[in-house]
Amino acid sequence: MSDALEIGKLLRANVTGCVVGCAVTQLETPQFGGMVRIPLEKNYQVYGLIYDIHIDDDGLVRQLVTARRPVTPQIIEDNRLNRNVPVEISVLFAGYELDGRIFHLLPPRPPLILDTIYPCSPEEIARFTLAGRFGYLRHILRAADLPVGELLAAHLKQAGEANRAAGAADWQGKATQELIVLLRDDYPALMSVLGAIGEL
Amino acid sequence: MPYNPNLKPKIENRKFPVGYVVGGSLKENLRVRLTISPQEVQEGAFVVVQSGDWQFYGLVTDLMLGSTDPRFADEQSELRLPGELAALLHGQTLYTTLEVLPALMQEVGPDPEGPNFARLYTEWRQSHPKDPPLIPIKTIPSHHAPVRLAHAGDIAAIFGDPTDPDNFVLGYTREQGYPVCINLKKFVQRSSGVFGATGTGKSFLTRILLAGMIKYNQASVLVFDMHNEYGLDDTASDTNQRVIGLRTIFPGQVRVVALGRTASIRGQSPDFTLEVGESEIAPEDIEMLTRELNLKETTPTTLAALVHTFGRAQWFSEFKKMKQGAVIEDEEGKKIPAPDSVEAWARQAGVNEAAAAGLHGKLNRLFDAPYIVSKTVGDSLGEIIRTLESGRHVVLSFGDYESDLDYLLISNLLTRKIREKWEEHTNQYRSHPEKTSEPRPLVIVVEEAHKLLNHEMAQQTAFSTIAREMRKYYVTLLIIDQRPSQIYDEVLSQLGTRISGWLGDDSDIQAVLSGLAGRDALRGMLARLQPKEEVLLLGWGVPMPIPVRSRRYDEKFVQEVRGRSLGKQSEADILKEIGF
Repeated sequence: MSDALEIGKLLRANVTGCVVGCAVTQLETPQFGGMVRIPLEKNYQVYGLIYDIHIDDDGLVRQLVTARRPVTPQIIEDNRLNRNVPVEISVLFAGYELDGRIFHLLPPRPPLILDTIYPCSPEEIARFTLAGRFGYLRHILRAADLPVGELLAAHLKQAGEANRAAGAADWQGKATQELIVLLRDDYPALMSVLGAIGEL
Repeated sequence: MPYNPNLKPKIENRKFPVGYVVGGSLKENLRVRLTISPQEVQEGAFVVVQSGDWQFYGLVTDLMLGSTDPRFADEQSELRLPGELAALLHGQTLYTTLEVLPALMQEVGPDPEGPNFARLYTEWRQSHPKDPPLIPIKTIPSHHAPVRLAHAGDIAAIFGDPTDPDNFVLGYTREQGYPVCINLKKFVQRSSGVFGATGTGKSFLTRILLAGMIKYNQASVLVFDMHNEYGLDDTASDTNQRVIGLRTIFPGQVRVVALGRTASIRGQSPDFTLEVGESEIAPEDIEMLTRELNLKETTPTTLAALVHTFGRAQWFSEFKKMKQGAVIEDEEGKKIPAPDSVEAWARQAGVNEAAAAGLHGKLNRLFDAPYIVSKTVGDSLGEIIRTLESGRHVVLSFGDYESDLDYLLISNLLTRKIREKWEEHTNQYRSHPEKTSEPRPLVIVVEEAHKLLNHEMAQQTAFSTIAREMRKYYVTLLIIDQRPSQIYDEVLSQLGTRISGWLGDDSDIQAVLSGLAGRDALRGMLARLQPKEEVLLLGWGVPMPIPVRSRRYDEKFVQEVRGRSLGKQSEADILKEIGF
């Protein structure tokens, strides 16, 4: 667990999610829909899903974009490595682990600034998603402003592979079934989610 | 392809439920969410619902497709989504609901697979030392109670064990092929009916029932065989195959009687013939033919006058001798009715001459009937009654006399005699049970029953009295008809067991279901029976309605019935059969 490469550090948070900042050089690890964890204390860590990766501009980039001179690869490289504005990664909390037990509930308190965020390993993903009965899906479905279908499709892809590797080959089917049950009274939302899942 | 009752059940593991209860009421039936494919359950399937300590038995009366949102049903999502995903979606949003008509319930005690079964069962047994009986439905199972298809044990628990001699396998459940019995002892206690449109197998079903009754020796049977089908071997009208008659199966027990002195039935000779003496014919026998002979309203008055003049025994022969319209001249040369004319008698008896002449003319058909004779050779009517009293069975074939007139007259006359005899015997038995034997139960089988029991005639014939009251006198009817709506309601409502094949006419369906609970649900089932070999068992004689695939009247059946019945024959019967 401690060997994992960190994604970044926490910029701001509330009980439903947080925003993590990282340098552009660190951006190879996090991916949309990826599952992350934020260890807080001994035996307590929060789990979440990356639902947005936001790259803000700064004054220099604006000047370069409008510059008449061609922007050379060296200039691009320099700006990416030495820029001051971090890449912002938005995370939706999906549950937490306390004393070895996983809860698909919102964490009792959010993490603090500069807490470190790590990507979950396949084993950790399988452990989190196999616990309980897909209760964490309701946190995703409740987030109306998010691209829920795409997020779920990305999550099912990552978690499906992790669970297959862990011997739970039918996990993806069960998760889809649960999504259908949760969304069957909302035809447009369900068809949008299934449309995205169907692309896998 | 002939139905094979030994076919293996389609659903291998019947332990698993086929659905669960989602709603319903006693009045509007139960609704069950199906968890298997709708093609695996058919209308009429017998299902068992387990709820708490109770088991409920019901019948599937409808299957309905449903969806959580109409759009899931409207959209062909299988075209938009990968197959696996579409299947998951359909599994959660599209479903089938069964409508189940609950009929019976029984307290069965705690669930054997539940926790603490041994202790709970012991406690339950202490409060229920005897197995609780099956009772008509009085409450409903809880939400989500599991529903399963009945297995052979359930069918046997409800309809009786096929190995019990009182029970007779009449058919098999349609899907699983489990044997369904009727209790013959109960069957003969009340009048019954076999209904179905033409060509639905009424005659074969009746043969099966009759063979069952004769084999188990529960009652004597008198069959008014209008179309000469039951007694002797015949050829099936649709398949042209040989159909074995009841006398061939039960040679010592069934006697075939033919109407008319020289009668033969399709070239075969009967055991004896039936002739009716003129003295046997009563005025009520004539009144019963009002519609057939187009008799006028004055007929009862004229008949009463005839009886008054000549007596009950002589009126028919005397009336027959009279000449219609014969005149003589008196001393003044004026034409007056001859002394042996109908008119002369009418004038003398104070009856309207035209009415008397009209009646005489209309009775000519009876005067000419060869089977009505002034003096009978033997006492064939008495012989029939004695045969029935001795515990044997009679098939009365009408031979060449297949007209409605012959059928109505003879069946009513004979039934009237039998009724009188059985009433007398029963009254004697009730007064002196130590001196008189108990009357032998008798079942009179009437074909084309609507001709005898229609709304106009039912009041006058002996049949309606039998249907309504004769149960107390050990006589019941088995009526066979294709138009039950034509039968008098009061008679129809008294029928204990009703066995009906396919019926197309709404009024006939309504008539068959009259007075039964859940008839709205059963109506559709009756209309959707297979046109052949499927019947619905209903009424008092069966614990709950159930559609069955009727047994086949074939060589195998005959062998089975014959084999067992021979095994039960006494030595005396066997000697009699071989001519000693």
